[in-house]
Amino acid sequence: MFKSVQDVIEQLGDQDYICDKKIATVVFLAQQLGKPVLIEGPAGVGKTELAKVVSKALGRSMIRLQCYEGLDEAKALYEWEYSKQLLYTQILKDKVAETLAGTQTLAEAAERVGAQDSVFFSSRFIVPRPLMQAITSEKPVLLLVDEVDKSDPEFEAFLLEVLSDFQVTIPEIGTIVARSQPLVFLTSNDAREMSDALKRRCLHLWIDYPSEELEVRILDRKVPNIDKRLAEEVVGLMNRIRALDLKKTPSISETLDWARALLALNAEELEDQIVSDTLNVILKYEGDVEKAQNELAKLIKKKTAEVSAAQPQVAPAPEPGAVKKGILH
Amino acid sequence: MQKKVIAFTNLLRKSGIRVSVAEGIDAFNALDELSLDDREIFRDALRSAMVKRGDDIATYDELFELFWSGFYDNLRQAFDQMEGDLGSMGIDLDQLLKQLAEMMQEMDGDLDLSELAKALLTQDLSQLENMIRQAAEEAGTGRIENMLQVGFFSRRTTEQLGLEGASQELENLVERMRAMGMGDAQIQQLQELMRKLMETVRRTVRGFTERELQQQNHNYMEKFRREMLTEKSFYHLTEDEITRMREVVARLAQRIKNILSIRKKRLKRGKLDLHQTLRRNMARGGIPFEVVYKTRRKDRPKLVILCDVSSSVANVSRFMLQFMYSLQEAFTKIRCYVFVAELGEVTSVFQDKDISQAIEKALDGGDVINVYTRSNFGFAFHEFWKNHLASVDKKTTVMILGDARNNYNDAKAWCIRDIQNKAKNVVWLNPESPSAWGFGDSVMDRYMPYCDIVEECRNLRQLSRVVDQIIL
Repeated sequence: MFKSVQDVIEQLGDQDYICDKKIATVVFLAQQLGKPVLIEGPAGVGKTELAKVVSKALGRSMIRLQCYEGLDEAKALYEWEYSKQLLYTQILKDKVAETLAGTQTLAEAAERVGAQDSVFFSSRFIVPRPLMQAITSEKPVLLLVDEVDKSDPEFEAFLLEVLSDFQVTIPEIGTIVARSQPLVFLTSNDAREMSDALKRRCLHLWIDYPSEELEVRILDRKVPNIDKRLAEEVVGLMNRIRALDLKKTPSISETLDWARALLALNAEELEDQIVSDTLNVILKYEGDVEKAQNELAKLIKKKTAEVSAAQPQVAPAPEPGAVKKGILH
Repeated sequence: MQKKVIAFTNLLRKSGIRVSVAEGIDAFNALDELSLDDREIFRDALRSAMVKRGDDIATYDELFELFWSGFYDNLRQAFDQMEGDLGSMGIDLDQLLKQLAEMMQEMDGDLDLSELAKALLTQDLSQLENMIRQAAEEAGTGRIENMLQVGFFSRRTTEQLGLEGASQELENLVERMRAMGMGDAQIQQLQELMRKLMETVRRTVRGFTERELQQQNHNYMEKFRREMLTEKSFYHLTEDEITRMREVVARLAQRIKNILSIRKKRLKRGKLDLHQTLRRNMARGGIPFEVVYKTRRKDRPKLVILCDVSSSVANVSRFMLQFMYSLQEAFTKIRCYVFVAELGEVTSVFQDKDISQAIEKALDGGDVINVYTRSNFGFAFHEFWKNHLASVDKKTTVMILGDARNNYNDAKAWCIRDIQNKAKNVVWLNPESPSAWGFGDSVMDRYMPYCDIVEECRNLRQLSRVVDQIIL
């Protein structure tokens, strides 16, 4: 249990997830109010990760439902295990014959078989899917409905029903009520707008790209060997790149990848060459890389101009290479 | 507090953010769980419960600042300033008030002061804040619409507040102090204090009224902006509006894509797919527990766009191209031609990643045609008929965008007739209103018989309706 907003920040911090008050407030409220949280934001800012660390921090096991186009109840809630039913009927053939022994008419036989209905339509033959698992679990769990925007609108309506009552009705068996209420996180990449009805039932959390200061802390935590100054340079440049009009804006996961790549290359600071060589780690489209490179060229030019302006002609010439070396300092 | 949150909720609603009653209740529940000392937490808690759309967050933050940047703080400031002013005159406010309080205690039950006067003398600012808010509400300050009314509503508020009465009471109080033998110098100080108090209250009330105006104005502006953009004629757009319009177009396109995906789904159920059914049920000895149906796919249309890019219709062309670009997936192939008199193909627009630049380039003639001539529709259509008719087939929708102002040239309507014979349908979007069609040098009436759909398309709403018609 989280005791306060501050407590959330600390406990998630213990799990190597650095978050701000905004995120912590919503997580805390979700726990207190028992409401689902709809997390939206650009890809790669740690939406799924948040659910994972919360489950760890709370000591709840996490059940994940990955959404995709065409996902239906059978895949999300429960399914009858036909082959098992079939197998059982085969094995129990003799028993069936026994049951039917002595019946005179077809109608009577059907009646007897009918009386045994519940044997074949019992929870024994149900394959519980994530939603069902989350509801029937003895211990409270954390249910992560990932990329809910990828699912079809019909599925969304169905999901709503489950999330509002936490109960499931199976026609052959009856209504199954949740033994414990799961904590529900839904993530969305904004591929389509979710219905108002769903939004109304959820607390809403918008995770955006982190502030520079926060991102440096995240880098520091996730890439332990990184030099503080390099981290700052990386984050600074990252923010400039994000400001460009790109097809796919790089997010935190790209920052981390990049920092790791730089470490692997033993880079101590962001030199022009190394930056342009590793740009494809953070940018996934050729057009984007091109744009970023243009921007970098501009930056370098500006830097050079600044440095030469700061050093009057009479001063001894700077060491070769020092002028154009770093981009950001 | 409750009242204030409700008032804030109403403000959000007025600004176009949809907040349901259930969400309002959620907000209250959320506030129960938190300590309200931290302003950030307070803001985020309210937001997570009430604002569910990414687009609205900026508006919310702005309104939050406006609404909760405590009027109390303003009040505090004003009173601090008053204390400073008095101090520079050599009057120690605390001392004076203490003295006053002592003397008032002596008078005890004999004293009959209004709530307002009491609040002023004890410097109970939160009480004062509540009173001013209430008075403003009774004065109807929420209805304020423009700058000229600030004076009027401020006066009404001070009247409701009973400031005159309180002022009288305070003067009487000073008189009584004099009667009780207070020194002249001190009486003068007291009088100065009372005068300052009145002045400060008047000023803060005015400030409050101005804030209210700001809030109202904000609502008004925001709504105005949103509604107008879709209705606004493409002919009169400022640079800034063009930028914003791009976003709106992108959002509209997204909406249509969503609808498309649903439509596709509905079309899916076809006949029984025997092969798939058998395969899927192999594990059960071929007994068909799970039945698979064939999916029927709706043919995606091909699209040929003929765009007039003469300056008179450039804006319409711009947004239509952007619209079509965003909806590329809805078509198997898009070919795009621009013309003024000559005709040139700029299909590359739709392969380019940087949409806005590509469109600007295409509108500029795309290096293939001369845009600085006079429109000649007949000539352009004839060129299309000569060189590109092969790109039109039975699955093709031909979309023509232009005002059909032909500068008295030959209309060559038979070209359109031939195109129509080959195409699935011909759609003509005309940014002029129908009453102008066929008058002056407009030859719209000549082309109309050969078009399947002719629509006026002057603003975004009309444009999106046309697009709906074509692809759904």
